[in-house]
Amino acid sequence: MTRLALVCLLPALAGAQDMIGRGADIFAKSCATGYCHGPKGGSGSTAPRLAARGFSEDYISQTIRRGVPGTAMPAFGDILPREQLAAVIAYVDSLNGITPRNPQPEAEPEKKLPPEAAQGRELFFDSLRGFGRCSTCHQVDGFGIPVASPIAKIPADAAALRQLATPEIHTATANGETFPALIVSQGKNQTKLYDLTSPPPVLRTFAPAVVTLKEGSDWRHAGVLPAYSDAELQNILAFLRAAAAP
Amino acid sequence: MRILPALLVFAGAALAQDGATRADWNYHGGTQYAWRYSALDQINRNNVSKLAPVWAFQTGDYEMGLQSTPIVIGGKLYLSTSRSQVFALDAATGRLIWQFKYPLPRATVPYGPQNRGIAVGGGYVLLATYDDYLIAIDENTGQEAWRVSLDDMRQCGCTVTGAPLVVKDKVIVGGAGGDSAHRGYLTAIYLKTGRVAWRFYTIPGPGEKGHETWKGDSWKFGGGATWMTGSFDPALNLVYWGVGNAAADNDARARYSGVGEGANLYTASVVALDADTGKLKWYHQEIPKDVWDFDSSYECVLIDREVRGQMRKLLVHINKGGYAFVLDRVTGEYINGYPIVDNHNWTTGLTEDGKFVGRVEPVEGKTTLFCPSPFGGKSWNETTYSPRTGFLYTPTLEVCADEAAVSEEPHEGRNFIGGTWKFTNTPSGPAHSHLDAYDPVTGKRQWSYPYKYMLLASLLATGGDVLFTGDPEGFFFALDARTGTKLWSFQTGSGHRGSSVTYMVNGRQYVATPSGWGSLASGSFPDLWPETATFRGGSTLTVFALPEAR
Repeated sequence: MTRLALVCLLPALAGAQDMIGRGADIFAKSCATGYCHGPKGGSGSTAPRLAARGFSEDYISQTIRRGVPGTAMPAFGDILPREQLAAVIAYVDSLNGITPRNPQPEAEPEKKLPPEAAQGRELFFDSLRGFGRCSTCHQVDGFGIPVASPIAKIPADAAALRQLATPEIHTATANGETFPALIVSQGKNQTKLYDLTSPPPVLRTFAPAVVTLKEGSDWRHAGVLPAYSDAELQNILAFLRAAAAP
Repeated sequence: MRILPALLVFAGAALAQDGATRADWNYHGGTQYAWRYSALDQINRNNVSKLAPVWAFQTGDYEMGLQSTPIVIGGKLYLSTSRSQVFALDAATGRLIWQFKYPLPRATVPYGPQNRGIAVGGGYVLLATYDDYLIAIDENTGQEAWRVSLDDMRQCGCTVTGAPLVVKDKVIVGGAGGDSAHRGYLTAIYLKTGRVAWRFYTIPGPGEKGHETWKGDSWKFGGGATWMTGSFDPALNLVYWGVGNAAADNDARARYSGVGEGANLYTASVVALDADTGKLKWYHQEIPKDVWDFDSSYECVLIDREVRGQMRKLLVHINKGGYAFVLDRVTGEYINGYPIVDNHNWTTGLTEDGKFVGRVEPVEGKTTLFCPSPFGGKSWNETTYSPRTGFLYTPTLEVCADEAAVSEEPHEGRNFIGGTWKFTNTPSGPAHSHLDAYDPVTGKRQWSYPYKYMLLASLLATGGDVLFTGDPEGFFFALDARTGTKLWSFQTGSGHRGSSVTYMVNGRQYVATPSGWGSLASGSFPDLWPETATFRGGSTLTVFALPEAR
C-alpha cells in the first residue's frame, strides 16, 4: 500500500513542481510588473506583498479568479487560459506554504470560432478603427458599448447590413437642430435619447417640451461603416452568427 | 471664458501676460496657462499664521484618496472624487447644493479608480469617469445633459484620471492606459452637443509622419497616454499636452525601429495642437526611446519671460526623468533643460541642444538601480508659478528603484510594462523629497524645503507671497514664497494627494484643500517607511479663511 501510494504520489509532486514553475513565469510577466506586485511576490512596489501572508487556498484562488472589484486587481479568471490560471494560483499558494491539491487542471473545453468568424470578431472590436468599429454601439460577449439593443436579427449579407436602419429609429428636433435618434426613455420630466449624428452616439437628456420626435430617419448603417469592406462585413456577420449560436 | 472681464481690465493697463486667478478658480491649473497662482492677497505672509478653518466637507468616498482640484465659479465650488462622484457646494459655507451620483465600479478599474478633477464650461460641469465616459452635468441643477463613451474600459485597459480642459466651444479630455497594451489619444468634444469634434492619436498610424519610428506592429499598443491636463494659449490658438511613456515601459527591443527622427513618436513628448482641428503644430520629444517609464504627461506651464534679453513666449515642462525643459511655445524650439532632482543616474546629462547622453538602460535578467524611480522626479501633482517672485515651485522626489526589463507580448488592454520595479532609497541616503523654488528659465535653485517622505500634493502660490501645500502626514502648511520659511500649518486628519485652490466670496478670501491619503504611490510608502503603514485614508475638503473682524 505504502509503495503504491508513493508511486502514485511522486509523479503528482513532480507535476506540482512543474506547475509552480510555470506559475512563477506567468507571475513574473503578468503580476510582478510595474505598478503591481513585487518580484517573487515580495514587497517594494505599489500592490501588497503576497509571500508568507498566511492566505488560505480559497482566498488565493477566489482573489486571482475574481479580482478585487473597484481596485486595479483584475479578474484573471477572465484573462488567463485555465491551465495558466491554475499554475499562477499554485505559485501564489506555494508562496504561502500551501501544497496544491490538484496539480492536474481539467482540460479546457475551448469554444473555437471558425476562421472567418474569428477574423470577424477582431474586426468587430478593432480599436484601430477608433469610433468606426462596431463595438462603439454594440455589445457582444460582454465587450463593447451597449448603445443598441442586443442584436436580434442578423442581416443576410453585407449589402443588407449597409441598408439596415436601426429598429425604432426616430428623427429628433431640439433647440433648432434635427438629428437621427434612438429613444432610451420618455418620462414625465425628461426624454433620454441617443444622438446618432456621428459616432460615437451621444446620450442626451431633454425636457420633453424641448424635443419633438418623428418616427423614421434616413440613418442607415452604411453611413457609419465606411471603414469596413464587404468582405470584412461578411466576416463580421459570420462572427455574429457564431456568437448567437447556442 | 468667464475670466474675460478680469483680463480686459488688466489688458487696459499693460499687455503683459496674465495667468493669475482672482475671485474664481476657473480651470484645473487656475487659468488655461496652468500657473496655479492667484493674485488674491487678503491672506498674505504677514497674517497667514492667523488662518483658521471655516468649514469642512466629507465626500464619503475615500477610495484611492482625494486627488482632485476643486473648481470655484461665482461662489459655487465643484468637487469630484476618485470614483467619479461630483458635489456642488456653497463656497462660503460648505452647504451641499447638489450631488451627482455615478454608479460605483462593479469590475476592476485599470490602475484603480482615480479622478483628479472636473472642468466647468458652457453651463456644464464636465466629468470624465473611471470607465471612460465624459458626462456634462448642468452646473445649476446637477442633472445630466449628455454623456458619451470615449472607449471601452474592459477592452482598452484604459481609464480617465486627468481633469478635462475647456477650450472655446469644446472640452478636451485625455486618458490613462499607457502602461497597458493601448494606443493613446486626446479627444475634443463639443460642449453643446457632446459630439466628438476631433481625436488626436499620440501614436501616428500607417502613412502618417512619425509612424516610421515604430517597429512592425508595435505602434498598435505603444502607450502614449495623456493622463493629466494640458494648457491653452488663446493668442496662438494652440493646445499643449504632455504625452506619456511608450509601452512596453522598460523594454524598447520590440518597438524601437531606429528609423526617422526621434523614437516611438509622440510618446514622452509635449505636443502642440491646433485647438480647432487637433492637427499637430509642433512637438518636442523629451526622451526618445524611453525605457524608464519617464512620461511627459505633466502640466505645461505657459509663461512669458526674458531669455538672453529678449521677451519670449515659453512653455516650462517637467518630465518624470527629473529634468525640466524650457521651450519656445510658438515653435517648440528647445531653449534650456535642467535637472530638478539631486539623484539622477540614467543619463550623464543634456547636450546644448537638449539631447540626453550617457544613457543607462534596464536589462533583462539583472536588476539595476535607477534614479529617479518610475514615480518620477516629481509625481503628477502640479507646480506653481508666481509672477511676483518670478519663481517656479516644484515638489521634487528623491526615490530610486531596482528595475529589470522583462520581455512581454502585448495583449490588448492588459498590463504591458515589460519590467519589474522595487522602489528604494537613493545611493546618497534615505528616500525623501523637497519643495524648491527655481528660476524657471535658467534652472537656478533659489531655496529648498526638505521633507522626510514624498510630497505628493500640488502647490498653490498667491499674491500674498504665500505658498500652500499639504503632506502625507495630514498637515496643510504655508511657506513664505520668497524664502521657503514655514509660516503656518494645520492638521487635516489625513494625508494630502490633491490640489488646493483659493478664491473670494463677498470680499473674503478662502483657501480650500482636499485631503485623504490613497493612490498608487501611497501603496509603496510602508516599504520605504514602515511607520507610515498606519496612515489612514480619508476624503475631506477643508476650507480656511482669516477670522472676520468683529
